Amino acid sequence: MTHSLHRSGNIESQKKDFVWFMYQTQGVNDKNIKPSALEFIAAAEECGSENWGDVKTGPITKYSVEEIKDKITDKSRLRGVFTRKEQVVEFLEIVKSKDTGMSVVISGVLSEVIPTCKDAGVTPHSINYSLGIWGKKDNLPDDVTLSVTTMCGHHMIPPKFVNHIRNQVEKGRLSAEEGAIKLANFCYCGIFNQVRCSDIIKENIKS
Amino acid sequence: MTVINEKQCNGCKICQIYCTVDAIIYNSEDKKCYVDQDLCTECYVCLRQKVCNRGAIEPIELDNFYKQFQHGMSDPVENHGVTGVTGRGTEEVKTNDVSGRVKKGEVGIAIDMGRPGMGVYLRDASKVAMAIAKVGVELQSAEHTPLAALMKDVKTGELIEDCLNYHLLSVIVEGKCAENKLKDVLGALQEVEKQIDTVFSLGLILRVDEFGQTKALACLDELSIPQPYWGKVNMGLGRPLSLD
Repeated sequence: MTHSLHRSGNIESQKKDFVWFMYQTQGVNDKNIKPSALEFIAAAEECGSENWGDVKTGPITKYSVEEIKDKITDKSRLRGVFTRKEQVVEFLEIVKSKDTGMSVVISGVLSEVIPTCKDAGVTPHSINYSLGIWGKKDNLPDDVTLSVTTMCGHHMIPPKFVNHIRNQVEKGRLSAEEGAIKLANFCYCGIFNQVRCSDIIKENIKS
Repeated sequence: MTVINEKQCNGCKICQIYCTVDAIIYNSEDKKCYVDQDLCTECYVCLRQKVCNRGAIEPIELDNFYKQFQHGMSDPVENHGVTGVTGRGTEEVKTNDVSGRVKKGEVGIAIDMGRPGMGVYLRDASKVAMAIAKVGVELQSAEHTPLAALMKDVKTGELIEDCLNYHLLSVIVEGKCAENKLKDVLGALQEVEKQIDTVFSLGLILRVDEFGQTKALACLDELSIPQPYWGKVNMGLGRPLSLD
């Protein structure tokens, strides 16, 4: 799946959006992954990963860290987000030193991500490049809504729910941060960047 | 199959804002909501988020292979039966440092049909798969990517008729070609994008040098396709490392 590849929105906003993945390869290192997963979680927490989760349980915005850790199985997928390049460098340094043999992927604006490789002493192997949206675009939601919904690449966040949350914030019934958490809870993987989402909501509500 | 129990529904319409593809319709005559089964992708957001406090939204057994496939592709919590991978069931670039699926001199093609958020009828996925197969893309086999299980022949990409009218939140058309074929493939995609009733998001997977660069994307300029600024970088930390 390429669910972190096609995030959209203002480029400066996207520069504060990095997605990390630990990935096991089927038939190679996909058994007894829990010790490696716990190493990745420890590294993510040490670097202050703003959101993370396991698609089999859900994100930390909704579930406790202990519950997510307890439920890790070989079918789990650990992912999360950072908002600063420095976090990515530190994370890469730690997971490199742990040498778990798991694949590590960072999605983000390439002009931000590529320098982290050199800083962390890792050599990029392959890149999946986003060439954007093709086809019949007439019925897509507006750009602001898309910049939120595309942060859950599986599109578990309904566009109408984004508008609902924006309305609630405009009416003062929710803070932008509370609204962003409600949206993050729809993304089971934990790759929804609620910090960036909160900024997007604040920038686009009618005051 | 997801349905709304009309005895439980009070027509409040709250559930409509939780549907990813606007498949929950309000009938003003009987003042109830119902699920448009042609549009519903079985993503189960309405069920997992328990959006109806009267419990009117109910799952009904997915009683054929295509319904199960539809649900498996639309709900990322599910693992695909053959590939064992969650989401749309493919590892693509994420494990390329170990799997070596895309090698030097090759381009991996990952076409996220229906994405972002529009959904896709499999008839459109069939058109796109056939278009790229025709210009030399080697489509991934069923061992690696779920959609291949619905193809008459992975050499042509044509999907079997019985599945064509199923609506999925997303599904990936995946394959690879030689770098020198990339321009032809992109040209074919520029043609077929005019023939489908939805969108797709396109990803190109490439081996890169130690500085994270590749010359293979130069052909984008010739086709007036903007150079990519967002990517998913495999950091080469998986072991054993594929050097191909």
